[in-house]
Amino acid sequence: MIYFYDGSKEAFYTAFLLAYPDEEAVLTSGSKQLGIGQKTVFVRADPARAKQAERRLEELDPECVKELDLLLRSGQPNRDTVAFGYFKLIAARGGPVRRMLAEDAVIAARECMQRVRFEIHRFHGFLRFMESACGALYAPVSPDNDICDLLVPHFRARLPQYPFVIHDVKRRKAAVYDGANTFLAPLDRAEIVLSADEKAWQDLWKKYYHSVNIPSRERLRQMRGYMPVRYWKFLPEKFPGDFGTS
Amino acid sequence: MISEEKLQILTESAKYDVSCSSSGSKRKNEGGMGNGYAAGCCHSFTPDGRCISLLKILLSNDCIFNCRYCMSRSDSDVPRATASPEEICELVIDFYKRNYIEGLFLSSAVHRSPDHAMEQLLLTVKKLRTEYQFHGYIHLKGIPRADERLVREAALYADRMSFNIELPSEQSLRLLAPQKSRESLLLPMKRLQKEREIFRLEKRKGHFLPAGQTTQMIVGASPEPDGQILRLTQSLYRANGLKRVYFSSYVPVVHDSLLPEKPAGELREHRLYQADWLLRFYGFSAEEIVDDHGNLPLELDPKCAWALRNLHLFPVEINRAPLEVLLRVPGIGAKSAYKIMEARRYTRLNFEDLKKMRVVLKRARHFITADGKFCGASGSALRGLLSAGDPLNATQLSFFSDRETARSALTGEL
Ligand code: SF4
Repeated sequence: MIYFYDGSKEAFYTAFLLAYPDEEAVLTSGSKQLGIGQKTVFVRADPARAKQAERRLEELDPECVKELDLLLRSGQPNRDTVAFGYFKLIAARGGPVRRMLAEDAVIAARECMQRVRFEIHRFHGFLRFMESACGALYAPVSPDNDICDLLVPHFRARLPQYPFVIHDVKRRKAAVYDGANTFLAPLDRAEIVLSADEKAWQDLWKKYYHSVNIPSRERLRQMRGYMPVRYWKFLPEKFPGDFGTS
Repeated sequence: MISEEKLQILTESAKYDVSCSSSGSKRKNEGGMGNGYAAGCCHSFTPDGRCISLLKILLSNDCIFNCRYCMSRSDSDVPRATASPEEICELVIDFYKRNYIEGLFLSSAVHRSPDHAMEQLLLTVKKLRTEYQFHGYIHLKGIPRADERLVREAALYADRMSFNIELPSEQSLRLLAPQKSRESLLLPMKRLQKEREIFRLEKRKGHFLPAGQTTQMIVGASPEPDGQILRLTQSLYRANGLKRVYFSSYVPVVHDSLLPEKPAGELREHRLYQADWLLRFYGFSAEEIVDDHGNLPLELDPKCAWALRNLHLFPVEINRAPLEVLLRVPGIGAKSAYKIMEARRYTRLNFEDLKKMRVVLKRARHFITADGKFCGASGSALRGLLSAGDPLNATQLSFFSDRETARSALTGEL
């Protein structure tokens, strides 16, 4: 049986309860090619049962709820299978399994979470704010994983006096810090009026970037390995033009 | 706002300094902007493959000293510039706000006098911390022969300081950097180390170099062999409590009869970093890695070379070997060793398991057994296999081209 669910935590737990006893269960929130004769079921979140499943799993392993949050944020197409496999093992062993480093399900889950965590770390460095005329900061991002709200605490601790918006342009939503509170909001497109100095600072940054390079030691492949081209779109130093309107 | 020309001059004269790390400080944001990020953070990468973490810049490149290898030396004909403390502060704040940088790495030529240069550096960091309320990372270079009170005060504001040891021996210093001496570089380091210890023991308020001290030396401008360099490095870690020793392979930026015409090989620099990694993390001593007057082999990494000299210790059984032994197996690094230690508590590991766990076996397989099985070569074939399989060996074309090597290139991780 294939269990379709909407990718939310509640629906995952609901589907997990249904699918756990089923030896041939496949869990998915994406599109899935159906084999001949395969049965499908669409699982709707059932808050009461989800809570029950969550509590039970949390008893078995207090950390696993946080891990599920990371797994479901992954942009990997097989994330549901990975999460299902990992939680099945926790349920089957009746306790934490994260240190069983030779188990396939654990390896897959660890690698999946590691990618999400690594991208968060990368964006602590690769995110670029631009300053708007009113002083608020705006950063467009397009991460592989659904992480824009997880970036907020880092920047909020550093820049508590500056309201900022981290805009996931791919998922059309934004994590907003208004100077006091943080929230998530749908956001399609943003029209930003840049501050008077923004362009000059971007130009200085580009100047710096090019001056600090040692041209006789060019190693482009290495650069691209550390900073993959898909992240360049919003880096002023890697972008020939400028952003926004001023 | 600082002018583009000035920024360019002051950056180009700073860029050969190799250290850029922003790690080791957990400074909190105390009501302003910025904090430390203990793990360090890269904000961009330049086409030469290096990470940009800190804004690496000189306050001035106008020098009264005349170190032969340096393009800012007093008798070289280059454009000169000096920035004001305010210009630097503004630049840091506006770059940091936009998340271009993790903090500042500020250095200076010996402008007018050692004391004047040090005073200006101090003024800048003090301003940043107190007036601009900046709590991000600051690495400050110390000026040799500057008044020790200035140096000590600067340490209250910086996260890390460094006096560069420059060259691996006193003779080379005398020849190539006549105004500096071993003493003028080591003494301030020792003093800071002592102060830092006292500060810590007395649990004084505030900060005193929370990320410690580092230093850097140029490799290949003078004749010292790797053995001597690594012994010096080891004593800097052991006796002077340094956090990190950096090597910068010599790049000729000026012509001088006393200096080599050609740049020192980057491969040598890399082998030194690998050896340094063995000293810092895997419990090796310099004496085990290379003898006094010897050089590290270029065709093999230093751990492989050590293992080949000590074949009687191998193979080790992956299911039983203690951590410190696993760490000495070529190709097994800290991460793999940790994974093996964890996984073997639940199951007996075989080669299939190791592969699944992404333990790189290319080199390791010659030095281990897994569940009693040996999969490697031995005898005379081994050396050839290992050096042919070394990712850094052979041509510069393949230099740093695969992922494993690329990561190791940043740090020397093995
Ligand atoms: S002191 Fe020596 S190394 Fe430093 S800037 Fe002056 S000439 Fe260059």
